[in-house]
Amino acid sequence: MTEIELVEKAKTGDTKAFEELVNRTKDKIYNLGIKILGNKEDAADLLQETYIKAYESLSNFEGRSSFSTWLYRIATNFALMKLRKEKYKKISIDELKNKSDGIYKKEIFDWSNNPYFFYKNEELKEILNSAINSLPPKYKTIFILHDIEGLSISEISEILSLSIPTVKTRIHRSRLYLREKLSEYFKNKGN
Amino acid sequence: MNCEKIIKLISDYIDKQIEETEKEIFEEHIKICKKCESILNTIEKTLFLSKSIYRNKKIPQKVEKSLYYQIKKIKIRYKK
Repeated sequence: MTEIELVEKAKTGDTKAFEELVNRTKDKIYNLGIKILGNKEDAADLLQETYIKAYESLSNFEGRSSFSTWLYRIATNFALMKLRKEKYKKISIDELKNKSDGIYKKEIFDWSNNPYFFYKNEELKEILNSAINSLPPKYKTIFILHDIEGLSISEISEILSLSIPTVKTRIHRSRLYLREKLSEYFKNKGN
Repeated sequence: MNCEKIIKLISDYIDKQIEETEKEIFEEHIKICKKCESILNTIEKTLFLSKSIYRNKKIPQKVEKSLYYQIKKIKIRYKK
């Protein structure tokens, strides 16, 4: 049965159809939760809240986007709310803008073939992970949806109700900022 | 095109969202500009590393059970 057929059935109160929709999508939603929120407990909350909300508002789903896109929208809204309450120290949007937009004025060195990139992989992953966590919530969410989950820019613009240029700018700034964080590491190592 | 404009196009280039004419200019610039080439290379490496941070996980049984239990509960509430 297709997703649309299942949604139509679920709307009439067919519980099996709704459960089948959950079955088909739950792994994606749970893993999105892990990636954005960083721990299993919050991911479990996100999973539960997403499907409860989806069940409650199924009658509002008009099928303009796919069911998964609609679920992503519910899940990312929940994730954004959680991230805003998080205590993890975040970089301000202004600082992020300055750091990324002013990059052309900076001295740049190429560490892409630096042996440390391969030898110190785990250390670098940790640095990168904490840099991703320090992104402002709306930047982090977009970065994960696009560069980790592989969603397209237009899908993200639909999920977050943002214009395509806004999504693109946020992806670009996040990438420059994360690149910069790794550059600092190599700079300290004397390249 | 100067470096500032080229850098703004880097993400479009990586995401294959760049227009054909801009792509040619971009690639010509990268060939001769070490700075912009370095930024492109290091962003690509950053993305490569980002992807390796996350591994997909299986939903713990307890979480899955609780999810279906909550769905059942809410169904009952709606039927009332």
